[in-house]
Order: sequence, then structure tokens, then C-alpha cells
Amino acid sequence: MKSVPPVFAKWFKKKGWQLRDYQRAMLVEKDKHDCTLLIAPTGAGKTLSGFLPSLVELDGLLSTSNFMGLHTLYISPLKALTQDIHRNLLQPIEEMGLGISAETRTGDTPSHKRQRQRKKPPHILLTTPESLMLMLSYADADKLFGKLKRVIIDETHSLMANKRGDFLSLALARLSMLSPAMQRIGLSATVAFPETLGAWLAGSDSTANIVKVKAGEKPKVDMLHSKARMPFGGFMARYAIDDIYQAIEKAKTTLVFVNTRAQSELLFQMLWEVNKLALPIALYHGSLSKEQRRKTEAMMASGMLRAVVCTSALELGIDWGDVDKVIQVGAPKGVSRLLQRIGRANHRLDEPSEALLVPANRFEALECQAAIAAINKGELDGDAPQSGALDIIPQFILNCLCSQADKPDTLYQQILNATPYQGLDRSDFDKLWQFTLDGGSALNAYERYQRLLENDDGTFSPANRRVIQRHRQNIGTIVESGRLKVKRIRRGNQGKIIGEVEEYFAQQLTPGDTFYFAGEVLKYEAIRDMQLHAKPAKAKEPKIPSYSGGQMPLSTYLADGVRGILADSSKWKALPTQVQEWLTLQEAFSQLPKPGNVLVEQFPFRQAYYTLYYTFDGRKANQTLGMLLTRRMEKMSIKPLSFSVTDYGLSIASVNPITQQQLQRLFQPDILGDELEDWMLQAPMLKRSFRQVAVVSGLTEQRYHASQKTMKQVTFSTDLIYDTLREHDPDHILLKVAREDAERELLDLSRLANLLIRYVDSATLVNLEKVSPMAIPIVLNVRSEQIKGAGAQAIIEQADLYAEAENMLEDVRALLSQTQ
Amino acid sequence: MAISDSWLTTQLAKRKLSITKFAGLLWVLDARGVAYLPALDWLVVSDLHLEKGSYLRSYGNPLPSVDSQATLKRLARIMEDYQPARVISLGDSFHDKHSMARMTAEDRVFLCNLVSQVTQWSWVEGNHDPDLPEGIPGEACEEIHLNKEGAYDVVFRHEPEAGLESSSKTGSRAQIIGHFHPKMRTAISRRRYSGKCFISTNRLFVMPAFGQFTGGLDIEDEVMLALLAKNERNTFMMYDGIIFKT
Repeated sequence: MKSVPPVFAKWFKKKGWQLRDYQRAMLVEKDKHDCTLLIAPTGAGKTLSGFLPSLVELDGLLSTSNFMGLHTLYISPLKALTQDIHRNLLQPIEEMGLGISAETRTGDTPSHKRQRQRKKPPHILLTTPESLMLMLSYADADKLFGKLKRVIIDETHSLMANKRGDFLSLALARLSMLSPAMQRIGLSATVAFPETLGAWLAGSDSTANIVKVKAGEKPKVDMLHSKARMPFGGFMARYAIDDIYQAIEKAKTTLVFVNTRAQSELLFQMLWEVNKLALPIALYHGSLSKEQRRKTEAMMASGMLRAVVCTSALELGIDWGDVDKVIQVGAPKGVSRLLQRIGRANHRLDEPSEALLVPANRFEALECQAAIAAINKGELDGDAPQSGALDIIPQFILNCLCSQADKPDTLYQQILNATPYQGLDRSDFDKLWQFTLDGGSALNAYERYQRLLENDDGTFSPANRRVIQRHRQNIGTIVESGRLKVKRIRRGNQGKIIGEVEEYFAQQLTPGDTFYFAGEVLKYEAIRDMQLHAKPAKAKEPKIPSYSGGQMPLSTYLADGVRGILADSSKWKALPTQVQEWLTLQEAFSQLPKPGNVLVEQFPFRQAYYTLYYTFDGRKANQTLGMLLTRRMEKMSIKPLSFSVTDYGLSIASVNPITQQQLQRLFQPDILGDELEDWMLQAPMLKRSFRQVAVVSGLTEQRYHASQKTMKQVTFSTDLIYDTLREHDPDHILLKVAREDAERELLDLSRLANLLIRYVDSATLVNLEKVSPMAIPIVLNVRSEQIKGAGAQAIIEQADLYAEAENMLEDVRALLSQTQ
Repeated sequence: MAISDSWLTTQLAKRKLSITKFAGLLWVLDARGVAYLPALDWLVVSDLHLEKGSYLRSYGNPLPSVDSQATLKRLARIMEDYQPARVISLGDSFHDKHSMARMTAEDRVFLCNLVSQVTQWSWVEGNHDPDLPEGIPGEACEEIHLNKEGAYDVVFRHEPEAGLESSSKTGSRAQIIGHFHPKMRTAISRRRYSGKCFISTNRLFVMPAFGQFTGGLDIEDEVMLALLAKNERNTFMMYDGIIFKT
């Protein structure tokens, strides 16, 4: 063990561990590569491998000198993860008696500790992308990060192709500027395309050395075949609650994964309702307060819990010891994601992990089956790289200028170094720069107030303290909807903060309403000082908080799998009997979607006509198709009301039914030309994108302070700004940014074009008297998009007390004739 | 007055207008957010909040400062339709006392032209604009009292008179106010709609906010409920260019 100092060798021996080959290689070659991407399955000792080079180096430095300063930065996409890794890191440091200091710093870190960390940083700091960006905005950032030798990015795979990843890639570009000798190490779970991930990690002008560790045993994944009746629709899997409970009972420790926070709250309730043995079952999701989460983490670590119901907040890296079973409730949505979750069980490479999939409805059973097939074949789905989101650029520019004055040219070069931004046009950058400077409006008549001021040497600085403060308060808002803290009131106004709900949900409540939160039923009292006050109460049809980020998109890979199963009845044998019966029923009642043809069902439902398009082309393509079809339906006077999409299909509600002839005219590639532009300009989708862009780019604020008691009419929606810009300043850069965002996030034009061309004249309309078995889960989808236009007006006319106004018209006429 | 019988009939049929009675007067409610009194040929608009954009810009928000222009142009289009004898701007017409200093020369000219188009233009003072900015034509007033023996007795103010909590008791005069920026949501046939609204009881009538950058206060908010109780109120909601009674 030549590469390893004696104290480390001894420690390994004492633990009964052996240095793995790849760990040794990373240690020996640590100074050979600027950037290393380690791809290893869960349980392979990934995190230790990341830290080992730094521990060895620091140990050497400290034995010869009194090394001070930040040596290694560890970045995790999750706050919870930094705590866990910190615990695991302190253990070897203490056991080997190394004089290395390691601390965490997140949004939860108290301010006195942050102050101290700035003056006297630890050798190793564990933090999140947002906290890193904040530190980079300090005037002494160059001193703080000047000696930085290495940055370790954990769970790198979760940072590809999303805004958070874009944000971090910019922070890394900045770090490399402050500390040119800095190495990057990425730790990643197994991914479909390692090279693209390596390119993301390394930055534009460098390449990553990719170290791949062979995957261990394939996991053992089964689908639940329940005796209970499986519903056609719904996402809560109530039917299977006894089966889930029995599975928990049989295992030592179980992680029960669900897809949304709302599901986790409800499933937790349901489990406790059947918990005859009073097994210790806990709840964990990202909206619970820090204290609540810490408590659960600690209990889990000490083996006190038998099961935890959790969301994706737990799927990344936290090592919770003896989990021997993973249950996925609801559709898995992606193969890689499912594997990541399953990997939480049995952190040993030589034993297969065990997992149970519990579909919530019959459609999801198809998805589960497709996922199991993919795992058995060893196939993965992955995100394709995409160009970086532009709304982060103004945030980044201001962040850099808060730290030190600079010129646009220099900042542009830095931004190009971040891989997602390597293709950023100078002209786009210049517009974003101008926006940061003064709001970027072509019509800025009143220029006394600017956010940036030019110094004598041609560099720019923030105009005043207020600009800096405002920016720091808003750093890292990668846009979630407005949040309100939930205060559990004991008496008077006193109580504890137990977590957060979305403002939207809070607004739907009236005093006295009850809702599930943090595993109990609360009664809503009032919103005071940006807090939602609620008291524990007895259940009286409690509501479930909704979280808009909650819905996960189905990977296209799995959607194809589902289509494959449907088309080939020989594959049905593996499905639960009830699902087979459901498919047979669909075949008898309507038709099954066939390859080479788009099945369109139409039936009356809830005072409207519903048409269902089974495209199997993913949520994005369906979303776009929905926007375009409703647009054309509006022109054809079919009066569309709303549409909703799932990964499998699109459902449109309208006042009038459609005919086969109309369907042919609807389902034509030319809607991509005529209707697309039309829609893009006034689509509510664009307003939604603009809402995000406005916050991320710093146009409006998102953070609330306890001190800021705003009357609601003072704040106004970004929709109004959008409308104003569209009419009066149509070339504004943020409109372009919003449109690009919408195209990236919501539309899948190329896929849609393929779909339309493929299925010209081969869409079959089936008229039904009632909802078909297969349509149920799709029509029950509550997230529908309302259409403005004749349909909505028709609906409103039914309800309007129009006759009253009509009667008074005579009186008005009389008045008019008098005065004229 | 420029509106004709036929215009009124078509606009009403298209739900661009609604008509209601309040305090013995007939009110034409326009889906664009203004009210018109045919008996007097008055046009009422509230909470213009001119130069709110530039005000927020001065606090570091990089907002586009084209809101005044947008607000004034919308108002001009409406005035073309009605050509009223008198315009009443019901307070908070200017977002703060430096609004005029920040307004562009173009917008200022536009505003002055607008004011000169009518015989009388009244700026009712609001909490944002207790003093009328200098150089603005038109008259400033605290409130406008309108009284016709045996027919009506109403006052136009920005905020409700003190003691309004007991509004339901008879004898107090009816009030037309702004200030609250009412908005509402409603569900029709399981579909949810939301928008700004006119809201009234038999003694109080609240105008929607007209300014381009004005948000709204939900009529279910406790502040609003205290003034306009659920079982006493009438609401006219504006949505996608139409107005309807809910």
C-alpha cells in the first residue's frame, strides 16, 4: 500500500476494509487529471473515494506546516446530503486522529457560524450550489477560494440538463477563475451517457477522465400482484395499503418511495391507519422543517425506524445503513431514477437489492412492467444535454459584480467556460448584460436609477448596497412557487414552524379547513406575517397540500416500453391479472392503441365532450399538441374548454363534439405553422415561463421576509409585466428568454412534427357513450390547462345573470335619449 | 356623450358590458375596468397608479417602465368610446409624490391631452397621492358628494369613510370607493376562473384597479369580508375581455 500513508493503511486494516482498485487509482493519479468523473453504483464507496485524495494531501500538508484555508469544497445538490456526508467524513478524521477540520454550510447554517467560516474557513467545506453562489458574491471570495485545491460534486448525474445544474456550472466556472489550479471530481450514479456528463463536469475547454466501476448484481425487482381490486385511475394506491404494510412487516427496514409530497403525506396517513403493530414508521419530504428532517435522519441512522415514507428528497446518496427493502409506490417514471431508488437498499455490491413496485392504477402497471423489463436487460434512460437557461445569466453577472468590479468581456469569457453556455451568442449576452444594467428596456425613459454603475477604468459595480442586498436575498431562486411557513399553533400565536406549503394551496383554504401536513391533520386558522397558522385537529375531509414541482415526467424510453407492451399481447402474461382484464375490457369496449395509428376516443363527460388522443409521445409533445389542437378547434367553433396531458396521451374538453372529418383537419402537420406562432404569442404557457424567468433573472422578488408585511394589492403578477412588454416593448430580452424556456421545458417540436407526419390521415375516431377503461386515468388528471375563448365564454354565459342587465338596458336607453 | 343605443346593445350582448343599479343610479360596468354613469355622463376610473414601474425601478427592480404609457393608452381608448362630460379618477392616480418628475415628456403630454378632452376632470385624493402633483390639469378634491333629494345621496372617495363597519345601518350615505383592488375567483361547471372585479353591497361600491401594474386583493380576504359581507355582496368579474355577474 505504497500510495497510502501508514495512518490510513492502519485505519483501513482496523476496519477490515481493502482499498478498491479504482480508489487506489484515483489516489495515485490524483494530480494527473484536472477533472475526474467517477461513475459507480451505490454502495461502492464513492464518497470516500472522492475525499481520499484530499484527506491524504491535507494530512501531508498539516504534518509539515500549519496549513490554513479552504482546501476542498464538497457540493451536494441536497441540503440533507451535506449533513449525512459530514457525519460520515468526521468518522475517519476522528478515528485516524487527523487534524483536518470539516464543516457544513447551507441555508440552515446560523449567521454567526457563516461569519466565522468566512474569516477562518475549515479545510473541507460541505455546501450546496446556492450557498456556494452566495459565498462567491462576497468581496473576499478571492481570498476564501484562492487556495482551493479540489471541488467534489456529488450526485453529478442529477445536475445534467436542468437549471440547477446550469447554475452550478457557472459557479464552477467562477471558482476556476479564482483558483486556476483547482481540480474537479464528479461522483455519479450509473448513467446512460457518461461522456456528456463528463463534458458537463469538465467545463468547455477541458475533458474529464472517466473512471467507471462495474455494476454489482442486478437488483431483484417485482411488481405487486395484489388480491385487492386495483383502481382504473388515481395516484394514491390505497387499494394496496395492506400489501405494503405486510411487506414492511416482513423486512427489517423499508424505504417507501412515492413521487410527490402530497402522496407521501397521504400514504403515511394510510399506513398508520392499518398499523396494528404500531411499527415505527416515519415521514420524510423536502417541505418539512429542518428539525423534523434531522430527527427522522437521526432515528433512521440509529436503526429505530422500520420504515420511512419519502419522496425524491431521499433518493440521492444518503446512507441509511440497514435498509433491506425498497418499495416504489406509483409509477417509476424512469429507469435510472428507479435504479437510484432501489440502490438505497443493501449497500453491498455483492448482494442484489430487493425492490417491490406498487402501481397505483392499471396504467401504471404497464409502466412498472416496462421498467422491470429494462432493468433486466440492463438498459438506462438518460437526459440529453441542453443549452443553459438564459435567465440565470443576469443572476450570475450581478453575483460576480457583487464580489468585484469587472468588464462585460471578462464575464462573457467566464460564462463560455461553463459547458451548458459554450454556445452563448455574444449578442444575447449583451442584451442580458443590458438587462442587468438597467432593465434592458428599449424605452427606458427614466435612467437615473441603474443597477450597475461604470467605474473610471471601464469596469462595472452594483450601484448601491440595496442592489447587492436584494441580489443576495434572491440568490439561487431556481423558482419554486411562493412558499409559506406552516406554524403549528399550541396556544395564542405561539407554536413551532414545522415546514412549508405553497402559497397557492394556502390561498385555497378558508378558516376551519383541515389538511394533512407533516403526518397529522391540521386546522387552518389564518395567514399571519407570511406564516400559515394551523392547529392540530380531528380529520374532517382533510385536503392534501399540492406542490407544483411534484409531477415527474416519464422518460421517453419508458413510454416506448409501454407502447410496446400494449401492442404485443404476448407480453401481457407478466402483468397482474386485473391489468390483463382491463386491457381485454378496453379492447371489447373500444380499441387498443395500435402501432401506425393514433387512437382518438370521444365521449360525453361532466357536461362537456372529451376527446382523448393516445399518442404515447411524452408529456412535452402532448402539451404542445394540446395547445395547437385547441387553437384550431377554437377556429373551427368546436369551443374547447381545457386540456390535460399525461405521458401517454392528451385529453381535450370542449362544448361541441368533433366529427371524423374535423379530426382529419385537426390532425395535420400544418398546425405547426399556422397555430404554433399564434399560440406562442399568447399562450398561458409562456406566461408561466415568464413567471419563472422574471424571478430567476431578478426582475421580481421571490423571497419573503418576516418583516415584509405587504398588503397583497401591492404585489402584482408577472403576467401583467408580460402583457405590458409584449405590447410596448416586444423586443425585450426577457421575452426571448421566456420563449426559449418554454420551448425547452414544455414543447417537443421535433417529436411532435414526427408524430404528425407519421399519422397523417391515420387517426381513428371512436365515439363512445362513456369513458373507456383506458381513458379513466387520463381524464382524472386534475392539472388541466384552461383555454380562453368562445368555449369559456359559452360556459360563463350559462352562469351569468344576464337577464338582469338586459332588463336594465331599457332604463339606460331612456337615460341616453334624455341627455342626447 | 358618444355611446349609442346600438353600441350599447351589441356590447352588452358580447358581454363587454354589464349594467347594475347602485344607490338609485344606473351603472354601466365596462369589462375594461371602468364604470359609466349614463344619468350624469360621468366616467369613473380608479387606482391608475401611474409611474409605479419607475417607482419600483428606483428600488432596484429592473422593471420595464412603460406602464404609464400602457395605462393611459387603455384609458384613452375607453374615453373615445364614451366621450364623457366628466372623468373621476378615484384616487391613487399617481403612485407616489415624485411620479410626475419621473414621467416621460411624451406620457405627460398624452396625459394633459386626455384631461383637456373633457369638460371636467376630478382627481380624488388617495393614500398614494394626498397631494396632486404640480402642473397637472384638472381639479383635486378630497371627495365628491352627489345628492338629489329623494333620488340618491352618494359620495365618491378613495377609501371608505370611518365607521363603515356599521354600513348596513340605514341613514349613512352610499359610497363609491377604490383603494382595495378587488379580485375574485369563481368556479363555473367545475372550471375555475379568476379576475379583477367590481363588488358592491347596498351601501358600498368598490371599483377595480385600472393601472397596468396593479395587483388585486381577493374578496375573500378578511379585510374585504369585513366591508363586504358574503351574503350582502354583488360581484361582477372581468375575464378575458368580458364581464359577468357571478
